[in-house]
Amino acid sequence: MEKSIEQIWKDGFLKQEALIAPKVNDLYNRKSIHLVEKFQRMFKINIWGIIIGASLILIASFGAGAGLAGVIIFITLLAVAYSAKLDSDGLKQLDKGQSSFEYLSSFREWIQQSIEKYGSLYRIVYPVFILTFYFGLWFSDLLEPIREKVAENSSNLIFGMHVPTTLLIIGGAIAMGFFAKRIHREDVELMYGKIMGKLDEALQEMEELRTTK
Amino acid sequence: MPYAGIIIKICRAYTDTEEDFEDYYQEVCLQIWKSKDRFQDQSEWSTWVYRLTLNVCLTLMRKSKKQKKYESNELSPGDQKEENAPSISDESLNQLYAAIRELSEIDRAVILLYLEEKSYQEIAQIMGTNPNNIGVRIKRIKERLKKKLDGKVN
Repeated sequence: MEKSIEQIWKDGFLKQEALIAPKVNDLYNRKSIHLVEKFQRMFKINIWGIIIGASLILIASFGAGAGLAGVIIFITLLAVAYSAKLDSDGLKQLDKGQSSFEYLSSFREWIQQSIEKYGSLYRIVYPVFILTFYFGLWFSDLLEPIREKVAENSSNLIFGMHVPTTLLIIGGAIAMGFFAKRIHREDVELMYGKIMGKLDEALQEMEELRTTK
Repeated sequence: MPYAGIIIKICRAYTDTEEDFEDYYQEVCLQIWKSKDRFQDQSEWSTWVYRLTLNVCLTLMRKSKKQKKYESNELSPGDQKEENAPSISDESLNQLYAAIRELSEIDRAVILLYLEEKSYQEIAQIMGTNPNNIGVRIKRIKERLKKKLDGKVN
């Protein structure tokens, strides 16, 4: 009996064998490469962001008459960027000859180590950044009128700086140093959260495949 | 992979060999995985999968056409391998697929969506066209398919 096109289609797919998915041998390999390459691209953009930001701060600081503070912040940020560049080179050394699971696990480990390392680094960088910014800005040409006004109206001064404000800033800088790891972790989550989510998902899928084999 | 059935059905219509079929399927899976963050709730997940699968298949097909054109210039006729069409045990379905593969790229997509019982509205949404033209187009495609199947269908 003749069948309609619609019926052939329906009947043909009633048999499950018509819908057997092919083996996707290379899929996880490609997923791994995609993840790591995407991360490397984002990391590179991040490094350039730091360098450009540091340069802009340097230019602005000279414009505001706080050149010394600008130079200190510039050097600090450049050191962070250089350290990140070295780490990025280290990422290229990950053994691509490993299985996708091992490769991604090494990559995950690299990220964890990197978060730990930068968390520790920012314990120093954040306070240096805040204090240099505060002192630099306070003694800059830009804030001269405010400085004079504070000197006229307040007796609570040390080296020409308003004591409660200075203490507050120092307290803030210490707190930033103290919470640096947590702040950095949040920062990483915000920037690389999606890609790390995919990484965990891929690792979990691969782990499941390994255990069900 | 959720909606693997949809992907399999579409990939089969756009590939001539089992090897290509596997490659297309793998590429679609990879693209879905890569771009699922970009999926927005404005459309159904299945509609999004259809659209993405069709886009990947059309892109790969165009690439492969270019490659074949290049290779046919490079190789002598005797060097070309005989193609090994992906087959399914159901003979009628195989013949239907063979007929679908002879349609234009867009007609293939339209008829696949129709056979998957998508509404004209959904087909138009996936294809990015006007729903008014879909009915007429489907009628014409079905007639062509019937002709190709040489009276084996009604």
